[in-house]
Amino acid sequence: MRVSDQPPEIPVRSVRASIFERASVVWLVPMAALLVALGVAWQSYSDRGPVIEIAFDSAAGMSPGETVLRYRDVDVGLVEDVAFTDNLDRVLASVRLEKSIASFVDDSAEFWIVRPEVTARGVTGLDTVLSGVYIEGTWDSTPGGLASRHVALAEPPLAAAGQLGLRIVLNASPGAALSEGAPILYKGIEVGRIGKPGLSEDGVNARASAIIFEPYDRIVTSATRFWDTSGFTFSLGAGGAELDFTSLASLIGGGVAFETIVSGGRPAVDGAEFGLFADEGRARASLFDTTEGTELNLIVIFRENFSGLAVGAPVELEGVRIGEVSSIRGIVDEDRFGDDGVRLLTTLALVPSRLSLDLAEFDDPLDYFEQRVDAGLRARLATATILTGGLKVEMIEVPEAPIELIDLSGDPYPILPSTLSEISDVSATAEGVFQRINDLPIEELLVSAIGFLDAAESFVGGNDTQAVPAEVRGLIGDVRGLVTAPELQALPAEVAALVAELKGVADDMRVVTTALSEADMVARLQGAIDAAAAAATGVETSVEGVPELVTSLTELSDRAGAIPLDIMVEQASGALASAQALIASDDTQALPGALTTALAEVEAALQELREGGAVRNLNQTLASAETAAAAIETAVVGLPSLTGRIEALVAQAEDALSGVDQNSELSREARAALRDISNAAEAFESLSRALERRPNSVILGR
Amino acid sequence: MGTESCPNCGARVVSRSRRSLQRVWAWWLAGLICYVPANIYPMLETRTLVHTESATIVGGVAELAAHGAYGIALIILVASVVIPVGKFASIAFLAFSVGSVSRAAPQARHGVHEIVEYIGRWSMIDVFVVAILSSLVQLNAVAAIQPGPASLAFALSVIFTMLSAQAFDPRMIWDGIEDRGAGIARE
Repeated sequence: MRVSDQPPEIPVRSVRASIFERASVVWLVPMAALLVALGVAWQSYSDRGPVIEIAFDSAAGMSPGETVLRYRDVDVGLVEDVAFTDNLDRVLASVRLEKSIASFVDDSAEFWIVRPEVTARGVTGLDTVLSGVYIEGTWDSTPGGLASRHVALAEPPLAAAGQLGLRIVLNASPGAALSEGAPILYKGIEVGRIGKPGLSEDGVNARASAIIFEPYDRIVTSATRFWDTSGFTFSLGAGGAELDFTSLASLIGGGVAFETIVSGGRPAVDGAEFGLFADEGRARASLFDTTEGTELNLIVIFRENFSGLAVGAPVELEGVRIGEVSSIRGIVDEDRFGDDGVRLLTTLALVPSRLSLDLAEFDDPLDYFEQRVDAGLRARLATATILTGGLKVEMIEVPEAPIELIDLSGDPYPILPSTLSEISDVSATAEGVFQRINDLPIEELLVSAIGFLDAAESFVGGNDTQAVPAEVRGLIGDVRGLVTAPELQALPAEVAALVAELKGVADDMRVVTTALSEADMVARLQGAIDAAAAAATGVETSVEGVPELVTSLTELSDRAGAIPLDIMVEQASGALASAQALIASDDTQALPGALTTALAEVEAALQELREGGAVRNLNQTLASAETAAAAIETAVVGLPSLTGRIEALVAQAEDALSGVDQNSELSREARAALRDISNAAEAFESLSRALERRPNSVILGR
Repeated sequence: MGTESCPNCGARVVSRSRRSLQRVWAWWLAGLICYVPANIYPMLETRTLVHTESATIVGGVAELAAHGAYGIALIILVASVVIPVGKFASIAFLAFSVGSVSRAAPQARHGVHEIVEYIGRWSMIDVFVVAILSSLVQLNAVAAIQPGPASLAFALSVIFTMLSAQAFDPRMIWDGIEDRGAGIARE
């Protein structure tokens, strides 16, 4: 084998270079760019939040890609699209939420559009003037899973996100105004706000929801009363003019204040209803009007449709006023009532507390009415006053009422059955009255009256009747004549004469006593003593007689005083009264003759009186009195001599005594006798002095 | 072909850039990738007191045109859209033309390459405008202009396309002539 010097052929194999050797490093750049792009795309996709749809009434100012959703003023979403609902009645805004908050946007979420608002209380949402509106959202802080469809609120809610408080409803009473967003003030501090006012279900009251923020909600109890502070009060009085308003903001924008007037109310709960009063005075007064503010509303449908029933008309239960009519509407409902007549749908606002129901028995005042309606209680219209024709609603028990029940399903309030109204009765009564007036025999009555008047005229014009006054005048003349009769006129003169005589008597007695005192008498002692004793005895008897005389005189004067002059006059006036009664009597037709006769009799009686009777008796009496006085005079005339004798006796006794021994028995006795005599003389003197001073005491006995 | 060093500077002497086309395509792709976000994202974010506005390139052009500023709109449109797109198209055409037998005249293709290289830098005018505005208009709360994410992407896109144009070895345009005539072997 021959060794070749040729090297063996080296197998050359073309080897394809590996991809790493052939590829340029620059390829890393687009790879990196691609990776970054993919990464960014993935990142943005995975970070993207879900889309929710919010339905708005209008998309005022909303624009896709610009309008944001804010929660507590932080952007958490963006409006991506604005479209309509299927039937074009709402605007659907598709909002891309941020992923982090998406799970909180559950069913509790509320959305509304924030717009710029300029009110008397300030400017809100100013930033939206230039930047455009935004959607504000609020939701609670517990994630409840995403809800993808929402309906936006037409107005911002009362409480901002996270603000807690008591939500109540205010019912405005007449005169109180509710204005949206108005503040609720408590002692001047704003503690709450009023929402948008609306009408109550029955359309009678304005009402608005309101919120009292924490922690002031604890102040509100069932005894709290709210009143309107809007506007101002202007009063002009003795203290000058006074202008009063709470604040400038509430002057323009309205406001509500409240006060818990009495303690002990129950704490208010969410949804509690309160009345809003026109002013503070009424609010305070209301607390004592109705202890419980809740009223019971009932509806009554009257078949008849009377005019005259007005809002505010009283509602009475068996005569007790328990409420008033709060609204009246006419309704036509053929399906319900079977005809197309107009029914009167009346809403009654009752205050059950006026019934003083036993709450243990009737938990709900409506139960009471249910029970009563079972027993036949029905409502009806009745006349409140006949003068104005005003009506009221009356609840009465109708004995044979067809069975009916309270319709508890009534909308919005239970319906109380009604019965026929009482208006027809009243009109029937009035008609009956008029009928009876019509039936009165007025014409016959007038004919009789005319006849009667004729007769009366002829009677009055008759000669006899004409003569009556003349007779009466004559009668009066007679009476006057009687009074002016000389006998009567003479009476005072006679009395004066009597007095003069009495005075004369007294003068005489004075003369006698003077004589007695002046006389100088000396006599013999023994005889004098006897004579003195006898004289003393005589004087005693004589003096004893004087009272008797006086007594008889008194009787006399009594009799004179008892002369029935006044009775006579009374009788005369009685006679005149009888005459008058006679004239007024029914038998006046037959009167003139009899009257004349009667008058004649009266005249005759008076004449008789004048001619004899009493006056003469009086004269006689006076004459007797004169005689008596004369007797007294005579008696008194006897007195001076008596006194003279006594004086003589005393003188004698003194002479005698001067002759005897001073200390003897005789002398003592004589002195005593003399003293007695002297006393007697003094008694006479005092008697005569009394007579002088009061002469008539002899007659009158005093 | 052996490799030698330049006797003067010692740099490696190559007859053709190695993997030229690969680098062209790589830069070109990177530029294209960057060009997408440059057009999607906003170029400028203008924030005034109450309003924040961001505009993309095309959006800005349309807005300018809507306001009647047709001249400025045209400039921006040319600088930001026409030139970059044209560059992408030109580079792709050149790269394709050297890979296969092209009917286009080498002189024309060389001219295209020169134009691309020259004009490519002008695309940065957008980025410069954004940079200048951003630095000038900084009035705190009242108004501020900030570059948007697109400006960075656009700048990258311009840079990548410039690199792509540079990576292209224009001698390859003429290689086909040797194939047809002198039969000079290619590398």
